[in-house]
Amino acid sequence: MRDSLRGSREISDDKLVEQACFGDGRAFGILVRRHHASAYRVALSITRQEDIAQDVVQDAFIKAFRALGGFRGDSSFRTWMMTVTANEARATLRKRGRWSESSIEDVGTLESRAPDPAEQAVERKESERARKMLDTLPEKQRLAISARIDEGLSFREIGTLIGSSEGAARVNYFHGIRRLRELME
Amino acid sequence: MNGIDCAKVRDCLPDFESGRIENHESVTIESHLLSCEDCQSELELIQMLRDGSPAVPVLLADQIENAVSSSRRPWNRSRWGPSVWGLPAAAVVVALVVGVGVSRDRSEVIQDVVFDFGVDADPGELWLSDDSFLAGDLWIENLSNETLMELLVELEGEGAAR
Ligand SMILES: [Zn+2]
Repeated sequence: MRDSLRGSREISDDKLVEQACFGDGRAFGILVRRHHASAYRVALSITRQEDIAQDVVQDAFIKAFRALGGFRGDSSFRTWMMTVTANEARATLRKRGRWSESSIEDVGTLESRAPDPAEQAVERKESERARKMLDTLPEKQRLAISARIDEGLSFREIGTLIGSSEGAARVNYFHGIRRLRELME
Repeated sequence: MNGIDCAKVRDCLPDFESGRIENHESVTIESHLLSCEDCQSELELIQMLRDGSPAVPVLLADQIENAVSSSRRPWNRSRWGPSVWGLPAAAVVVALVVGVGVSRDRSEVIQDVVFDFGVDADPGELWLSDDSFLAGDLWIENLSNETLMELLVELEGEGAAR
């Protein structure tokens, strides 16, 4: 795979999408390598469980590959892929009867793993605590924050991702940030 | 406050923090941060969040690639390759070619399979294009009746699994 990636940096996503549309699996492979991390973080932001997030990303890429002809280039491939993943994550949670728009209350429905001492020590770190707090926010707020901070998406792109306007994306982001600052005090 | 207000600074903080910002803007924000504790505190939160950004499983990309390629492997004889394109095309053609020779029940199964794919698909998607259909057609022509029957059984399984 490393060989096939050599020189792939110069090829634009648009070009790769075009090649993948014509059945070029290698082109799609490069797209997977470029964007799977962003897609995974979106899935994790919504599902809040690593194993489910991995399944979601996998299914999202399979569906994206099938639906590549429907990608019109209105947004970047990355934003489109993140949106496909977000939809897949919501559908998966809905199927499992776990999807909910509520906030702090539904944190209690998360599966809790047995904490081990090492893990607890790591969690004491402030950054871990901040991420845990992020998980307690409503979905649109945590998705907006993750997309803005982890992925560097613009508010317009975040609007596409959460299915709202640019203004609403901004409100979700800042409302979430304000809430996090309160929680972290 | 230092030629830029807090709202504008906070808009840019994630880009500033990750170095995705022009030099001159960076200087303006830095000087604002020196005198604004509130924005400084928000920057610290953003840094914390980024430091705690979840690690991506090392083998995830490989897993995805494998999943995508195995979702197309058994049917990749057409120009388009993937089974997800070949299957509905093949199903339609099987229904047309051998529909008379098989029982009514089996035809209905095939129709179900085709319909099932139709629901998932956007009419504009490439995998339902004429070309994909033709590729399936040519391939089906060379199959024996026995192989076609096996294919029907397999399609039935695929349909049931969905
Ligand atoms: Zn300020």
